[in-house]
Amino acid sequence: MNWFYFSSPSTFYRLAGWLSPWFFALAAILTAVGLYYGFVVAPTDAQQGEVYRVIFIHVPAAWMSMFIYFVMAAYSAASLTFNTRLGAMMARALAPTGALFTFVALWTGAFWGRPTWGTYWAWDARMTSELVLLFLYFGFIALANAFEDPRRGDRAAALLALIGLVNLPIIYFSVHWWNTLHQGSTVKLTGTSMHVAMLTGMLLMAFAFWMYSIGAALTRVRSIILERERRARWARSL
Amino acid sequence: MNHGFYLWMSYGATAIAIAIEIATLAAGRARARRLIEEERDLEAQD
Repeated sequence: MNWFYFSSPSTFYRLAGWLSPWFFALAAILTAVGLYYGFVVAPTDAQQGEVYRVIFIHVPAAWMSMFIYFVMAAYSAASLTFNTRLGAMMARALAPTGALFTFVALWTGAFWGRPTWGTYWAWDARMTSELVLLFLYFGFIALANAFEDPRRGDRAAALLALIGLVNLPIIYFSVHWWNTLHQGSTVKLTGTSMHVAMLTGMLLMAFAFWMYSIGAALTRVRSIILERERRARWARSL
Repeated sequence: MNHGFYLWMSYGATAIAIAIEIATLAAGRARARRLIEEERDLEAQD
């Protein structure tokens, strides 16, 4: 299979249109099963009671906020290095969904923190670096749309995305590098102390958010492609 | 205040945020289609 075939906006437009409903459907199914595990199968936490169930959206949203940023930076790097139009368009398409999950991680963290820590917010290293991530997403979106020529916007935003990459290890290792209010990683490559039903629910929701992100990015990139290619014959013939 | 408030605020806000994103995706699609229509009209005038 020639993968470069799909690097053309016109062919990727059709591929994205075919794929996105499947990703949304998968996200809906995984969400339903994940919520069933989260609210029915997973037991009540011995220390936190029912409020720990925020974990089923908080942790997957936080994972996605960082993962989407990494993918967005990778597309930005590809667009700068190879001058690919589609890479820049994909980076633009991912940014709002990344910002959404960063907001969800911060918001749900606040509503989990209040009953367990006694506060909605603290200027703790993990929370502050996650807030910086939200501002990086906002900066990327603003910069990408600040130029009359979209290609100049692409390049400026791509540079910001690459500079902002330095924040990802800070977010991840903040709980190890500093003495933070936020707890350390519960799920590690070496294992976890979580109950299997809690872990299953959390992983199902993480996959649901992942599939949703792909579906949303593919849907958004189709609109971006259409806007940019509207003078092309193939776009006008749709 | 029981824990239900914190759960509802978390899950409710997430659902609203996702609903807003889906609405903006639909709006973006409609805008792109409108631009294509305008291009077609311009072409027809030429």
